[in-house]
Amino acid sequence: MYSPEIEALLKKKGVEAGGRVRVTAGKAEYEGILMPRVVAGDAQSIVLKLENGYNLSVRYGKGFEMKKLAGGARIKHKAADVAPAKDASKPTVTVLGCGGTIASRVDYTTGAVFPAFSPGDMLASFPELKEVANIRGRKLFDLFSDDMTPAHWQAIAAEVAKEIKAKADGIILMHGTDTMHYTAAAMSFMLPNLPVPVVMVGSQRSSDRGSSDNAMNLTCGAVAAVSDVAEVGVCMHGTTNDDYCLLHQGTKVRKLHTSRRDAFRSINVRPFAKIWYEDRRMEVLRDDYKRRGHAGRFALDDKMNPRVGFVYNHPGMDPAYVASLANHFDGIVVAATGLGHVSTNPKGDPLARSIVPALKALVDSGMPVVFVPQTIYGRINLNVYEAGRILEAAGVIGNGCDWTPEAALVKLMWVLGHTKDPKKVRELMLTNVAGELTERTGTETFMT
Amino acid sequence: MPEEKIDFKKARMKAGIEIHQQLDSKQKLFCGCSTAMQEKEPVAVVVRKQHPVASELGAIDAAAQYEYLRGRSFHYHVFRDETCLVDTDEEPPHALNREALQIALEIAMLLNCEIPAEINVMRKTITDGSNTGAFQRTMIIGTGGWMKFGGKKVPITQVALEEDSAAIVREGENGNGGKDPAEENGKATYRLNRLGVPLVEITTGTLEDFSPGQLQEIAFMIGITCRSTEKVKHGIGTIRQDLNVSVRGGERVEVKGVQELGMLAKVIEKEAARQLELLKTGKKVEKETRATLLDGSTRFMRPMPGAARMYPETDVPPVALDDVWLKQLREKLPEPWTDKLERFKTKLELPADLAVQVVGSDYLDIFENIMKKHPKVNAVVVANVFTSTLKDIGRRKLDVKRLEDRHFFAIFSELEKKRIVKEAIPDLLVNFVNAPDEAMGDALRKLNLTMLKPDELKEIVAQLAKDSPGMAKERLYGIAMGRVRGRADPQDVLKAVERAAKK
Ligand SMILES: [Zn+2]
Repeated sequence: MYSPEIEALLKKKGVEAGGRVRVTAGKAEYEGILMPRVVAGDAQSIVLKLENGYNLSVRYGKGFEMKKLAGGARIKHKAADVAPAKDASKPTVTVLGCGGTIASRVDYTTGAVFPAFSPGDMLASFPELKEVANIRGRKLFDLFSDDMTPAHWQAIAAEVAKEIKAKADGIILMHGTDTMHYTAAAMSFMLPNLPVPVVMVGSQRSSDRGSSDNAMNLTCGAVAAVSDVAEVGVCMHGTTNDDYCLLHQGTKVRKLHTSRRDAFRSINVRPFAKIWYEDRRMEVLRDDYKRRGHAGRFALDDKMNPRVGFVYNHPGMDPAYVASLANHFDGIVVAATGLGHVSTNPKGDPLARSIVPALKALVDSGMPVVFVPQTIYGRINLNVYEAGRILEAAGVIGNGCDWTPEAALVKLMWVLGHTKDPKKVRELMLTNVAGELTERTGTETFMT
Repeated sequence: MPEEKIDFKKARMKAGIEIHQQLDSKQKLFCGCSTAMQEKEPVAVVVRKQHPVASELGAIDAAAQYEYLRGRSFHYHVFRDETCLVDTDEEPPHALNREALQIALEIAMLLNCEIPAEINVMRKTITDGSNTGAFQRTMIIGTGGWMKFGGKKVPITQVALEEDSAAIVREGENGNGGKDPAEENGKATYRLNRLGVPLVEITTGTLEDFSPGQLQEIAFMIGITCRSTEKVKHGIGTIRQDLNVSVRGGERVEVKGVQELGMLAKVIEKEAARQLELLKTGKKVEKETRATLLDGSTRFMRPMPGAARMYPETDVPPVALDDVWLKQLREKLPEPWTDKLERFKTKLELPADLAVQVVGSDYLDIFENIMKKHPKVNAVVVANVFTSTLKDIGRRKLDVKRLEDRHFFAIFSELEKKRIVKEAIPDLLVNFVNAPDEAMGDALRKLNLTMLKPDELKEIVAQLAKDSPGMAKERLYGIAMGRVRGRADPQDVLKAVERAAKK
């Protein structure tokens, strides 16, 4: 918003954003299209988009005059309505928009960037898609992935189930990247025995630029969606180059970089596959995945208890804080150091403050306490050090587990959605449900 | 084409100049990388594709662009200290470099521009792969300025601050044989160390009634206005000129990439001649973009692109310009070198071409300091030392970089006190290249350059005259000069000869 004075002037002159104006400020005179004021910036300056494309801010003050001119542009998005032709020889892939902008349309007259989602828009932006599959799609919601909640996961899972019923050969979920791995884990637990691939894609570089990773991720995602990997996967850049994407297992993937294209990495396992962009070739890296057309019975299983908290252990952790978690949650996940440790103070150091009594009190009250590695890579092992043995005795869950923090968190929500019985919770948590737990870690799985 | 004289006025030739000058900030415009551009060996190569972004462009255009880009790949050379994730389009830009902003503001102020209320960073769409992000970040720093030139005001339409593009790897380098990117199986190779180096783009208004030579001078004056800040890069490739040229009855033609200022007049001349020749033979001048060739002629590059496709850089919020800061900058603005040039011509009585040479040289600072400290020394003598004597010495494979300011001050101090003559200077400079720590007195004695006292000179000349009675004055002068060169002012020698001959 502009300042009240400017807003009043605009109203008086009958000028709206997108209208052409001539502005005089002292000796200077400018003509251009009036821009809407962005959140940041000086509210006392009006912003014009000049003939040569630049935006220019002109301070409102003494000697400022504005004249409305004819012409201008409407700052409004018009969807490209190219009716996508159906090719009977190709499989059908449904694209569901779960927030995050994977396609954009830029209006260079006004500089406005609009998210584009209609199938027509998508095919206009990514013509190669139609060489892989017939695309249908719809937007489920429009939000930043950081605004996702377990309720959104449930909504997405229900839509996926609907699409499976409607005979989609594969499903692509477009998703913001920040919490993509949480949603991937949630889909993995909620959609057991998937008959077709569910592939999540996003972009680390905004889709309004020609260098965006969106086209490659989406194209490779479409290849994955028509493949025989009937699993929840995340399909994102494998390297900084535009060479191949990796298809990661939904419960074993994590965003490990704030901005790089290849931020998503498989943790403790190999990815399902490499998908080469140029020739759309899929190079399978594992054989322990469910094949399209397997015998298992698919049924939506989306019960969730979102009252799960996540605690990051650190030196000097306050036991009182740990104790207070009982007031907020039905279960907690603790990101523990090393092999799965927190302060246990067995040697009675006068400065150390063990949080074991606080944790044990939570466990004894029937609240599951799940340990995950804050090292991200590797497996929890509570047998090696005394601290670990103390924690195991206190009843924390996680000994031997190689889960990612996010998969464990989502799993605990899902398990608590099914049972409150501490014994059953413990048993279910320690049982591999959706590939989140493995029995061996290959030597090739670290930092690759 | 026959090289006949063209009447540019009659042809109603109009031209606009666009100058791109790299700034010498420590870091790049939107990241912490060095701007040195010194690394030679890439440590990695990043390979990328680009694709069109849907816009108001027609569907056919978009499809054509899609097919075009699909067949191309861009190979980017990564340098250890001169390329980071921002340059490889793997990290959002950092905050706008304040040092670069300040230099650009100073230049805009020196060119009498209006400074906007705040800086809006834009993305200018670029599809040739020279920007990893497929756009160039650019922003207006000033508008509506002017520069004095020969009693007229040359309009400066706009000063923009922007990121330099990546340099394409050409022939002789490990690349694609110097061909155009599109020619090598769609593969183009770029070096990322230049990408992101700040530069100012200065655009003049349409200039009429100037000869190509004057237009070149205007470009030079804009260049030295930038250099007034003493914070712009200089050397090959650090300043590049684009032009647009038209003649009556024709169309505006864009000419890209004039690398050398000295070529500008020639390029304008040749382009105007080309256009006139076309019109004379009944052909049309196409509205197009042409590239400059080494001989100053141009070749077709592409049809003239439409208006720049720009939209806001949302990763960098608008930068407010603090009035107090702007006022401080204005108060501390350096003397524009264009004024300096004028002062050298009028106050120091340097001939115009020598003044230009001094202002354009690396020795401008010390020249001025010497004139300040030793005002009685003839400025032409000092200017000549810095613009030609040092070059001569350098040509003799002597390292003039070994000369320090103190050597120059010592020499010109001797000259001012008339203890040496100007003819002694080259020998002294050579001496100090070889023996930088020798005392002035010792050097003068060793080289026999101590100035003769009037009596001594008279004595020597009288003796010479006595040895060869009846010798012509001119010949006697020649012999005398041979004997006392570097130790006496030729004028004094001449006087002594006259006197001896009278006897
Ligand atoms: Zn950098």
